[in-house]
Amino acid sequence: MSTALPLRVLFLVAALAVIATPRTVRAQTPPAANACRTCHASLTDARLATPANVFAQQDIHRESGFGCVDCHGGDATAADKARAHEAARGFKGVPAGQVQIATCARCHSDAELMRRFSPRQRVDQSAEYVTSVHGKRLATGDTQVATCASCHGAHGIRLVKDAKSPVFPTNVAATCGACHASQTHMARYKLTNGSPLPTNQLAEYQRSVHYAALTTGNDLSAPTCNDCHGNHGAAPPGIGSVANVCGTCHAVFSQKFATSVHQQIFDKGCVECHSNHAVMKPSDEMLGTDAHAICTTCHNGKDDKGAVAADAMRGGIERLKTALDRSGALVARLRNAGIETGAEELALGEARVHLTLARTEMHTFDPGHVEPVIAEGLKTVANVESAGARGVAELQYRRRGLALSLGAILLVVVALAMKIRQLDRTLR
Amino acid sequence: MVQRVVDWVDERVDLSGLRHFIAEKGVPVHTQKIWYYLGGMTMFLLAVQIFTGILLLLYYRPSATEAYESVQFIVTRVPFGWLIRNIHSWSANLLMAAAFAHFFSVFLLKSYRKPRELTWLTGILLLFLMLGFGFSGYLLPWNEVSFFATKVGTGIAGAVPIGGKFFLRLLRGGDDVTGATLSRFYGLHVAVLPALTTVLVAVHLLLVQRQGMSVPLSVERRVKAGEPLRQMPFFPHYVLRDVLTWYVAIAIVAALAAFYPWELGKKADSFAAVPPGIRPEWYFLAMFHTLKLVPSHVLGFEGEHLGVVGFGIAALFLVFVPFLDRRSNRGENSPVFTVLALLGLTYLVTFTIIGHYAR
Amino acid sequence: MTRITDVRGPLDPADFNRRTFLDAVLAVGFVSTAAAIAYPVLRFLAPPANAETETATAVAGKAGALKPNSGVIFRFGSKPGIVVRTADGDVRAFSAVCTHLDCTVQFKADTSELWCACHNGTYDLGGNVVSGPPPRALEKFVVNLRGEPGDEDIVVSRA
Repeated sequence: MSTALPLRVLFLVAALAVIATPRTVRAQTPPAANACRTCHASLTDARLATPANVFAQQDIHRESGFGCVDCHGGDATAADKARAHEAARGFKGVPAGQVQIATCARCHSDAELMRRFSPRQRVDQSAEYVTSVHGKRLATGDTQVATCASCHGAHGIRLVKDAKSPVFPTNVAATCGACHASQTHMARYKLTNGSPLPTNQLAEYQRSVHYAALTTGNDLSAPTCNDCHGNHGAAPPGIGSVANVCGTCHAVFSQKFATSVHQQIFDKGCVECHSNHAVMKPSDEMLGTDAHAICTTCHNGKDDKGAVAADAMRGGIERLKTALDRSGALVARLRNAGIETGAEELALGEARVHLTLARTEMHTFDPGHVEPVIAEGLKTVANVESAGARGVAELQYRRRGLALSLGAILLVVVALAMKIRQLDRTLR
Repeated sequence: MVQRVVDWVDERVDLSGLRHFIAEKGVPVHTQKIWYYLGGMTMFLLAVQIFTGILLLLYYRPSATEAYESVQFIVTRVPFGWLIRNIHSWSANLLMAAAFAHFFSVFLLKSYRKPRELTWLTGILLLFLMLGFGFSGYLLPWNEVSFFATKVGTGIAGAVPIGGKFFLRLLRGGDDVTGATLSRFYGLHVAVLPALTTVLVAVHLLLVQRQGMSVPLSVERRVKAGEPLRQMPFFPHYVLRDVLTWYVAIAIVAALAAFYPWELGKKADSFAAVPPGIRPEWYFLAMFHTLKLVPSHVLGFEGEHLGVVGFGIAALFLVFVPFLDRRSNRGENSPVFTVLALLGLTYLVTFTIIGHYAR
Repeated sequence: MTRITDVRGPLDPADFNRRTFLDAVLAVGFVSTAAAIAYPVLRFLAPPANAETETATAVAGKAGALKPNSGVIFRFGSKPGIVVRTADGDVRAFSAVCTHLDCTVQFKADTSELWCACHNGTYDLGGNVVSGPPPRALEKFVVNLRGEPGDEDIVVSRA
């Protein structure tokens, strides 16, 4: 009895342990012993062999302990094709369309599961997807739209932060462009007014400052397709929300714009002047009523209040720029001549800040807001000019000193010449 | 009072030789005597350079991180620093002009003939040293223009066929123009070249004093025929004239310093691209432009090599001119060398002008 | 060399007064030009008040005047700098030139951050970007205190 009791307790504990273990989706046989791979790798048809090989080389799911059957179903231990591909064992073939969304969401929308692998990762992707244009069209039966694997891949999946991932920030535009820049692919889609869906967005985007910042500027926070259109809930920002979208980064401009008259008038918000995909570096020439200005698209003629306001704001900015150039040249001249100009250069820097502020303030489209900033800048420049005047006075002082010395030298030269003549006379 | 001091020294150090020399020394008087002033002018401007140079080196810092700022400091913060620096920069150019003018006048007047071969030799070496001063000093402000001019100039030095690479590394203190180059050029500019110059100037002046002033061939022939040589006493007649020219030089340099200040420029950035149209100072311009015009390959040789060797041969020729010009040694007119001198002068002037306006 | 025959002729009485007047003028001339040369040279030799180049170091004010959780703009060469005392008393200095578009940053006491008014860029008290458009951190300077205890100067220099 004394030996049997511990044994029974042990058996009881073991049984409880087996019962108590939660039923979870867990990896089945390790990939090394995966019969799927063994068979598929030896096939001659690349369509069947490549996915297995790619999955074996580099895949985040495989590294986390998942295998073929976790998405495709079936029996990974069976060497026989019929047994491995049995529907009774859950084999689904290639998941596509809604089935694919459900397959991915089975894990990726399960918060408890994802917490075990990547606690910070979101679990609402499929919920977002349903609201997207892609998701809505899929629901109507269109199988040509993007699903999970279209952007993330299926077998060689990498983490988003992996630079080779198709959804790494620098690669996103090309991934979206694989469909959206293809005329053949997009030909069947039309805008609400019946005209064909444009396919030039990728080309336009590649001309933009955002693209340049992302690629050559190495600024990974620069926006690409998903930053404005959304990730899984991808859709163009609606009318009235463009300024909000741009404003997530360009907060100050969007705030100023929100107070302006254009906020109610512009359907497309910021895009009206700055374009949506080909966003270029803005210049002062865009403001005003001359040849290159954008304001003239709507505002023309002297009676147009908008034209008057545009001219006023541009005029103010140009006045400040002229004053800055003039003072800058004076200070440079003084510096070269050897006058200490550190304080003046500092003040000029301050004045240039006002130029930047004026260009921001301009987005209120109200000269009444822009003028005070310009005036402040001009006042600073005026201070520099008065300091510059002192520098010029110093230069004059030097020249007077020179004139005095030259006078003394001239005296000596004349006296010497006379002395020489005198000595020559005595020589003869 | 001065006499008392002189007498005191005379009691201890026998000054009779010196007194006699001063009383006796005369300067020939003839139509070409104006050229005599150039030697003294060169010497005076050299003295100005040494004086202002010593003042500058009290504040200048020869390191890549501080050189530019120290020059800026001198020019903006040190009282009259702008004046000293500008005088140094302008007088450098005037010194080069005076040295070349002195050289050409001696060349054309054949003053190098016997017995003045050594004077000519030391003089030519001094001319090369002056070019060295100009080249080394130009880098010291460490601004964009001087950095790239040095880069191009030392690059040309590297084009010497034998030992060019070694020579380039020797000049640059490495493979590129860096702070090491600055240190090296500073050492050259304030120590090595001044030491060599002192020795050579001493020999040059000693020879001139011992041998007296040379006269043009025509005058020499007349004197040989029995005509007395017209002279003026060196002291005080000639000395006062010399001092007059020096005062005029001071006036010119001071005016230039006040009206045309030398710019500070932008601090050198070794990673920046060479600005287009970079050129050396005017005294190197003829040589530089010639090298630019030489085609890249001539008869199987690299154009630049040929150019550099050509200049080397010309320099060597100049050194040996007194030994090559037999006719002037005999006291005869030597039109070949006159023509050569005029050709040389024309070439230098023309190519300097072309080089200045070329884009 | 031919000997000089005559150095000086007899003193002509008529020349006498002119001679001494000329000599006097000459003497005055020499002395005044010598003074005109000596004066700038002597002034040059005397070192200026601030012997160090201002682009390398600057004095940013008195340590006692800088309260905890406050910042002050000062001039560093030709650019603005900002010296900050954290709530713990630590003194730090940065370039006040915003790395976005060169506006001047300021200290915000309520958030204890450095803020740029132009486009809302914010930096923490290590100079690192917290939010907004600035692409890089603010340049950090080295801070030293120099002088009598209780009356120290804050001396800022390039790293």
